[in-house]
Amino acid sequence: MTKNTRSRRIAGSALAAATVLAAVAGCSSSGSKDGASSGPTTISFMQIMINGSQKSTLVKLTNDFETANPNIKVNLEYQPDYGTLHAKETAAIAAHNAPTIGQVYESWAAQYANSQVILPVSQYAGSDKPDQYSSFYAGVQKDLALPDGKNWMWPFNKSVQVIYSNSDLLKSKGLAAPTTWDQFATDAKAVSGNGVTGIAIDPGTTASPASGTLMFQALAASNGTPDFAADGTPQLNSPAAVQALSYLVDLKKSGALQIGTNYPGEAALGAQKGLFDLSSAAGYYYENQAVGGKFALGTAVLPTGSTGQPTNVMSGTNLVEFTGASKAQQAAGWKYMQFLASASSQAEWAGQTGYLPVTAAALPLMSDFIAKNPYLPTAVGALAYAVAEPPYSWVAKAEGEEVVALQAALDKGTDPATALNTAQTNALADQKAGAAQ
Amino acid sequence: MGWLYTAPALLIFSVFIIGPTAYTLYVSLFHWNALNTAKSKYIGLANYRSLLGSTAPSFLSSAWHSLYFSGAMVIGGTALSLAFALLLQRGGRLLGAARVAVFAPHATPVVATSLAWVWIFNPQFGLADTLLKAVHLPQPGWLQSTTWAMPSVIAYSLWHEVGFTVVLFLGGLAVISPELSEAARVDGANAWQEFWHVTWPQLRPVTLFVVIITSISSLQAFTQFYEMSQGGPVYATTTLSFLLYQEAFVFFDTGYGAALAIVLFAVTAAFTLLQRRTGDRISRSS
Repeated sequence: MTKNTRSRRIAGSALAAATVLAAVAGCSSSGSKDGASSGPTTISFMQIMINGSQKSTLVKLTNDFETANPNIKVNLEYQPDYGTLHAKETAAIAAHNAPTIGQVYESWAAQYANSQVILPVSQYAGSDKPDQYSSFYAGVQKDLALPDGKNWMWPFNKSVQVIYSNSDLLKSKGLAAPTTWDQFATDAKAVSGNGVTGIAIDPGTTASPASGTLMFQALAASNGTPDFAADGTPQLNSPAAVQALSYLVDLKKSGALQIGTNYPGEAALGAQKGLFDLSSAAGYYYENQAVGGKFALGTAVLPTGSTGQPTNVMSGTNLVEFTGASKAQQAAGWKYMQFLASASSQAEWAGQTGYLPVTAAALPLMSDFIAKNPYLPTAVGALAYAVAEPPYSWVAKAEGEEVVALQAALDKGTDPATALNTAQTNALADQKAGAAQ
Repeated sequence: MGWLYTAPALLIFSVFIIGPTAYTLYVSLFHWNALNTAKSKYIGLANYRSLLGSTAPSFLSSAWHSLYFSGAMVIGGTALSLAFALLLQRGGRLLGAARVAVFAPHATPVVATSLAWVWIFNPQFGLADTLLKAVHLPQPGWLQSTTWAMPSVIAYSLWHEVGFTVVLFLGGLAVISPELSEAARVDGANAWQEFWHVTWPQLRPVTLFVVIITSISSLQAFTQFYEMSQGGPVYATTTLSFLLYQEAFVFFDTGYGAALAIVLFAVTAAFTLLQRRTGDRISRSS
């Protein structure tokens, strides 16, 4: 080998090493944050409002906020879904590059608080229950606290479950919109056949329960026992839960319930192959798109169960502030969170997306929307009694056990009580493991 | 100067392979808090013990699903690709186009085509059910069925992977001795006898390579399970690699996920060694 060739090779190796080092250095410097500078304060908001009216409304609200607060700039960081959002938030925290604000489910907030990576509301708002707190619906207020009794979250996009239906099909069969789950089953069975199914559900996956599992949870609550006690203890094999799963199995055996994936209820309803769909109130925009004016889309709150009491399952997320933000960013983030939860912002947000306003003060500002969607005041009323996910870190994993029980009973034909006993045993193990962390 | 020449490769290998593997082993001994590593607790081999005692799903059932998938891919994939290669080995414009058609799926991203297959298997509007309905056959539920979910993922994976192994076999067929086949035919061997006693023995090194490559890629397969079935229903498609992802990156039980990664590494290494030894023995005996 010549001296020149050797020199070139050594130089090549050095260049490669320098490139790697430069890349590594570039990675580590890309996460620097503005906040302590004397210019505008920049905050970041990690969320999943990436589609349709959710994105356009959030962008408009954020622009309005920036116009009113020229010293604050909000960077919207979009994620495609809640699973990815959780992974990205976790990765950002681990890399010491967390956003200022992020959407969270209750169990995530519990996990973050246990790891001391989010701030309690009192730290940036000066009080555990700042002025705006009293304007929220009672169920929303309850949903902001963690087991230590302190408020760690602030509301943003809350929702409850709604029954969407093909009103024309109901009318043509001489059926009434169901007010009880018994009547729901009767209607679903009456229309099923010739390619039409009463309802199509997706139990979801162990990582991400979907409409079928929400229906099971709603049914169990309507029978008197929600799937989790307020202290996070699983109650998956309660008589109410067994009754709920048996109800679903009976519907399937009668040909009135079909299992699918990718929002099967919405797809079937839109294709005029389904009578009902159970989905979040926030799904209104997408249901309407699927129906495309082919028939009148009915909307109603959930029917009542054996207790006769109205029940529902609260969905949607809250906001938290992550540690690592400067004082200026914390203050700016808090201003933005208050803005998003204000009556005028919530009226606009709810009117465009279908999410429910978290404050009653928004309703007078939504008269046009309510005139077109008379279900809204009743749905909003459900925020007072809807059951939210208990704020414990193990709950998300334990909900996956419900999905498995549904799949076992609806596909494998496992007896509902047996499937739920197994789910309860596994959920208790999840609770034990989560509590030990 | 020898060490200097190997230094770049060694550096890259250390940073991206050896270092992370050693770190994974280290993490597996902790109750690891990814959000705040200061709150991680050393628990020794407890993650490995809970791995063996887990029930939802059990480690053994996940290992069985990995084996089921890998077995189907190795046996089915090898047989199919060998058959396709034998059919396509002759030249000609039509067979050339057929080779492209067989290889094309392998060039597509798994994440995109597996989503297309999710819709093929859709129980409401899918092509598979439409065809079955047209000929009045029952629809098995595909990805929603505990029995059919794994075969559905295998069908997709074979469609995607066979093109690559066909190319390997075509390469092998191109270099084997034509004289031996000709001699066999002169001696009166029929097509099957010629394949069994003459052609395939010469393809043993290629077959061994295909088996090893397919075993490793099948044991590590993840994307199609993530996109098509998410490990369900009732854990029917939860393989070791999917379980690892779920525990480490969905439920953030990072220490437990790291323990699974170490076990999967050991299983893959053991399989590879076993196949190499068996292959060597077969080569020596032939």
